[in-house]
Amino acid sequence: MLSERVFCSRQTRKMKVKIRQWNGVASWLWVANDENCGICRMPFNGCCPDCKVPGDDCPLVWGQCSHCFHMHCILKWLNSQQVQQQCPMCRQEWKFKE
Amino acid sequence: MEEMVIETHPTDVSGSATQPGVADAWETVSAALVSAECVVSEQSLSDSLALLCSQGLSQLLGSWLLETLQMRLSSSVVPEFWAGLNQPENELEEKGRAWVLLTAFRTLLHRLEPFLGGLDRLGLWQNEGRGDLCGPGPKGLQDRAFTIIRALLLFSPSPVLQERVLEFYSRTFSVYMNQEGEAEDGAEVPDGPEGGVCPGCGVLTQQCWCQEALEQLQELSHILSKLQLLEWVSSEAVTSILHKLIEQRMEQHCRGEYERSFLLEFQKWLEMVLGWLSKVFASEVHTDSLAPAPSAPSPSGVQAGQSASSVLKQWRCHMHQFFCRIYVNMRIEELFSIIRDFPESKAAIEDLKFCLERTNQRQQLLTSLKSAFESRLLHPGVHTSDILTVYISAIKALRELDPSMVILQVACQPIRKYLRTREDTVRQIVAGLTGDAEGCTDLASELSRGDPVTLEMQDSDEEGNDPEDWTPDPTDAVPDKMGSKHRSSDIISLLVSIYGSKDIFIDEYRAVLADRLLHQLNYNTAREIRNVELLKLRFGESHMHYCEVMLKDMADSRRINSNIREEESRLSEEEQPPLSLSAIILSSEFWPPLKEEKLELPPLVCQAMEAYTHRYEKLKAMRTLSWKLHLGSVTLDVELEDRTLTNLTVSPIHAAIILHFQEKSSWTLEELSMKLGAPKELVHRKLALWQQHGVLREEAGGRYYVVETGSSKEKMERGAMLIDSDEERDSNTTTQSEQREEKLQLFWAYIQAMLTNLDSMTLERIHSMLRMFVATGPVVTEMDVNELEAFLQRKVREHQLLVSAGVYRLPKSN
Repeated sequence: MLSERVFCSRQTRKMKVKIRQWNGVASWLWVANDENCGICRMPFNGCCPDCKVPGDDCPLVWGQCSHCFHMHCILKWLNSQQVQQQCPMCRQEWKFKE
Repeated sequence: MEEMVIETHPTDVSGSATQPGVADAWETVSAALVSAECVVSEQSLSDSLALLCSQGLSQLLGSWLLETLQMRLSSSVVPEFWAGLNQPENELEEKGRAWVLLTAFRTLLHRLEPFLGGLDRLGLWQNEGRGDLCGPGPKGLQDRAFTIIRALLLFSPSPVLQERVLEFYSRTFSVYMNQEGEAEDGAEVPDGPEGGVCPGCGVLTQQCWCQEALEQLQELSHILSKLQLLEWVSSEAVTSILHKLIEQRMEQHCRGEYERSFLLEFQKWLEMVLGWLSKVFASEVHTDSLAPAPSAPSPSGVQAGQSASSVLKQWRCHMHQFFCRIYVNMRIEELFSIIRDFPESKAAIEDLKFCLERTNQRQQLLTSLKSAFESRLLHPGVHTSDILTVYISAIKALRELDPSMVILQVACQPIRKYLRTREDTVRQIVAGLTGDAEGCTDLASELSRGDPVTLEMQDSDEEGNDPEDWTPDPTDAVPDKMGSKHRSSDIISLLVSIYGSKDIFIDEYRAVLADRLLHQLNYNTAREIRNVELLKLRFGESHMHYCEVMLKDMADSRRINSNIREEESRLSEEEQPPLSLSAIILSSEFWPPLKEEKLELPPLVCQAMEAYTHRYEKLKAMRTLSWKLHLGSVTLDVELEDRTLTNLTVSPIHAAIILHFQEKSSWTLEELSMKLGAPKELVHRKLALWQQHGVLREEAGGRYYVVETGSSKEKMERGAMLIDSDEERDSNTTTQSEQREEKLQLFWAYIQAMLTNLDSMTLERIHSMLRMFVATGPVVTEMDVNELEAFLQRKVREHQLLVSAGVYRLPKSN
């Protein structure tokens, strides 16, 4: 603070801008290695076909194979598999990434 | 046979008679027939008659009498009548002219009376069957006589007669109305500044001949009805008088006056006019009943009375018809203004509705209204919101006028067609719906009206309406697939259907909503939530889903912000962020595409944003933020040497510019543009705001300086300068056409894939395929063939597509 004031006076600059509030706009996105869910083909940043609201209400889950899906999509998939639970993309055994 | 005899002169007949007594007898009888007073004794007359009968000559009497009448008419009576009428030229005053008219008819009657008497007598003889006389009787003979009189007298009537009659009737009319309606109309009849003029007859009071005129009218009517000329002479004059007077009265009372109903008033007035008409036409009732014909008193008297009242009845109908027609004519002319003033002009619309049902002028109304719309409304000089306002009024007014909505549908077709060509129509409608438009609050209130009509109306067919209630469409209805059921009068559905698709409106509403939300500083969405709820009622839940997510984003952002704030407040003094940053965090898939603009913000701001992102990532696992640097708003103070500007709310780029000037007091446009990573034109435009505030000034060489000390005088100048402060409320969302373009681009991928597989396709085929494949996504609105064709044509021009004989194919690559 002090140094700045000194700096100011040396430059004989007096204009000072004080920002009271900055309202920014941002969009959130999932940190995922793909754009669309491999199961429902809907964008990750949207939601699965059964959901209305994206984000918290329709989260993504990652498998240990590093593939990710809408949680609702992969659960549906896994429930439909009788024998073995595999990742629909790479056919490895599906395990949730911790 | 008889006709042949008529040709020869009656004296020849008597001359060639064998018995000398026959000639005398003929003389006696014919004299008795044509002279008014009977000189011969009844006895000798009947003797003569008997003699004639015995000679078989009595059959000729009727023919002879009519022949004589005809001769007399053409040789003397008719010329005398016309001469009498024309005689004083135009020298006389009105009163005199009336007198001449009456005298002419008097003479006419006087000349013809003997014949009429003779005919009567002969007819009676025939009736009595005296001396085997037979014939049509007095009625038939008289009818023939009157036909001859009419034919000869009015064969070539000079215009003078009509003129005089018209003048006389007009005068008696005004006299009559003046006497009858003294109490009511007294004030309205212009008395004129020179007092002492009788309002009835228009001359000085001491010379007033009102009473005389009425008496003359009575006599004239009497004469005319006696000669059965009444209808022939008066109808035309009366018709034109009624027309003129109704028109006049309407011009005076009703034109431009829409807020009052005139029907009753006119009804009363017309009743009064009817009183005058009864004087003109019904005089025969009085005379006949007062002095009934001695021979056949009851039948002819009753008949005359009946005919008079039926004549009056007829005239009453005529008069109402005139009234309705004239009223409708006038209102049709004024309909545009009436519509413009609608809720106030309801009375006029109701009157018009009443009258229009009685005249067959719907077509005229439609044509006139359509052309009024076209000439007064649908041109580039009228603002879209004004067109919409008039359209809304028209909907309201015309659904009042014609509950079948056919007029509405047909007349407003041009408006709808025209609105479709205006780019900002949708935006205006949406603005109206959300209550943002200045002028038209109708839409907003219409939206919040209870009992909304859902825009899905397809299932209303099955509504168990009573078949008895069904009424056929008016004949001028536009035949379309939609029955009268679907002819909606709901303002919002009509407006929305201008484009034939709800999606366009919802997209536009989303854009408007996005704009409004992004300009919010305090996450206050109460009003938007209300609007979305109302729209949901109309458009259905599913269509408004995206908007709901947008609103939810706002609520979530607020929560996240307060969360992050709380976290920040726990930090120590040193770690406090240098900038108070809050954010609106969007679910990008659900918001309309936002404008992309490149902008680099000062490091201070970037750091703050990074910190914010960091905190967000901690809050929401596996999610991050992508900042739209150019969006949002900044509240700041600018302290200068001698003044401080406080609480300015500007856009981020404005803030970035002024922050750069804090570092260095002068910049060139190039430097700034480099620093901001934004195009020069944009920066130049944005600099204008600060110039306007008097913070910066531009000097020669394109350098901008901070104005540290601003004299008040300078400020004044700046105030006057008022640089065009660019689109301050610039829309953040991409425009409709840009979005459209993007969508078409999406189609291009499909088209390419189709053509690769199927080699070549016609336009229709491509269109139907696209509809099939791409019908699901929310972004796809209906695309018509023409649009697709235009798009494909462009691709052809860009050599990305080949077309031959209506078949499209991809160019052979490589």
